[in-house]
Amino acid sequence: MIELRNVSLKYGDKEILKNISLTVRDNTIKAILGPSGVGKSTILKLMLGLIKPNSGQVIIDGTDITPMKEASLYSIRRKMGMVFQGNALFDSLTISQNLGFFLRENMKLPEEEIERRVSEQIQFAGLEGYEDQLPESLSGGMRRRVAIGRALIFKPHMILFDEPTAGLDPVSSKKILSLISDLRNNNNLGAVIVTHIIDDVFNVADCVAVLYQGEIIFDDVTEKLNQSQHPFIRSILSDKILEL
Amino acid sequence: MLLTILRRQEKAVALWLKDFILTMQEFFLFSVRTFKAFPKAGRYWRDVLDQASICGTDSIPIVLVSAISIGSLLAIEVGNLLEDFGAKTMLGRSTSLSVIRELGPLLMGLMLSARFGSRNGAELGAMQISEQIDALRAFGTDPVAKLVMPRLVAALIMFLPLTALSDFAGLHSAAYMAEHYHRLDPGIFWNAVYPRLAPKDFVVGFLKAPVFAIIITLVSSFNGFSARGGTAGVGRSTIKGIVVSSGLVLVANFYVSKIVLENM
Repeated sequence: MIELRNVSLKYGDKEILKNISLTVRDNTIKAILGPSGVGKSTILKLMLGLIKPNSGQVIIDGTDITPMKEASLYSIRRKMGMVFQGNALFDSLTISQNLGFFLRENMKLPEEEIERRVSEQIQFAGLEGYEDQLPESLSGGMRRRVAIGRALIFKPHMILFDEPTAGLDPVSSKKILSLISDLRNNNNLGAVIVTHIIDDVFNVADCVAVLYQGEIIFDDVTEKLNQSQHPFIRSILSDKILEL
Repeated sequence: MLLTILRRQEKAVALWLKDFILTMQEFFLFSVRTFKAFPKAGRYWRDVLDQASICGTDSIPIVLVSAISIGSLLAIEVGNLLEDFGAKTMLGRSTSLSVIRELGPLLMGLMLSARFGSRNGAELGAMQISEQIDALRAFGTDPVAKLVMPRLVAALIMFLPLTALSDFAGLHSAAYMAEHYHRLDPGIFWNAVYPRLAPKDFVVGFLKAPVFAIIITLVSSFNGFSARGGTAGVGRSTIKGIVVSSGLVLVANFYVSKIVLENM
């Protein structure tokens, strides 16, 4: 379980997050919805301990990670997988090398086990035949699937998605969303999805938090989003995609 | 009106100063983290070898070209000057001191600052912009140990032989020019070189290699890690890395010479 308690964050004079609290339970998909540049991706980085809040606590499975040093955070981070908005694949490595990279780096597994896990993810992502290609030769949807495979290869409890369908065509978006649903249904995996696309929220999320001007203005099950009377939520429900 | 302008200026200077101090603090911590990662060099030996090839063997042509040019030029100019005093036989002595103490290591440092430093800045900057460095951290790998420490270890190992190569090429090109341009007997040239070189001449020259390795690698890598603002940001951080490291190489060159020559 991931918990943010009264978290505030400033970049210089700009207040990004104002005393927000948020809980993500295991085996649920939680969406964080908000316009671009509002600090949604920052929340994911806080959850991983990549940045530290100015005040408040970030609690992962009961452990407050805010005072922890970088070296002690690595083991906590391995409980979670992260899919970055731009995929963050290593462009000089092949697809199979990308998938196996962190297993080789951080886990003392025999090479056969690493290769078994890599081919498992290749199959899961439907990328058979592309093992030896470089990321640049794949389409956006394929690269996103490799990034998801790389996040899954550690067998994490929770997976964090930063704008999983941004920049993808409708077919690829649909594939990625169904992949995320499958993960929860078949692998009992929890997920946090940061997005500005409302359809994504209704398609996969069990619950949703809406971030607006650095504050959480809605945090409940997805079905109740339609009942919210907040003017901002009413306006985004009519526009479907947040472009500010 | 004037008071408002002055206050604005004062605020800008204060902000710049605060920024500068913060950057220095971050650079210091970054350097400490890099040195603390040295025990992991065995684990990342493949990366060390890759980087040794990039900053070592791949840099040989540029180091040779610069050393040969400066050695030849030095022999011609100094030879002309010494001829006026009837002291052309001292050509070997003067060029060898200049090349071994100063110009060999300095030129190698500047060339590597441009070649190795720019590569570090651009590569790490691009990785930072595309969130690959965040990905390393997110999946539990220390990016400093994986990306910076191997570069520093490789530079520390390779800059010494490159300095020796630069000295060798510079001296031999000077000897060639002494013989063919100034018509000086090679025996006279080399007799003024080897018997007269003292250990401190080599210490001055070769001590600069690790100092330059540390400056170039840490400054360029730190700037790569600090890249912000898309591809233009990568360009800015790369240029900053080269300019700062080249400037520091020149300053360090002076102080290493001064300290060693005054104390040996």
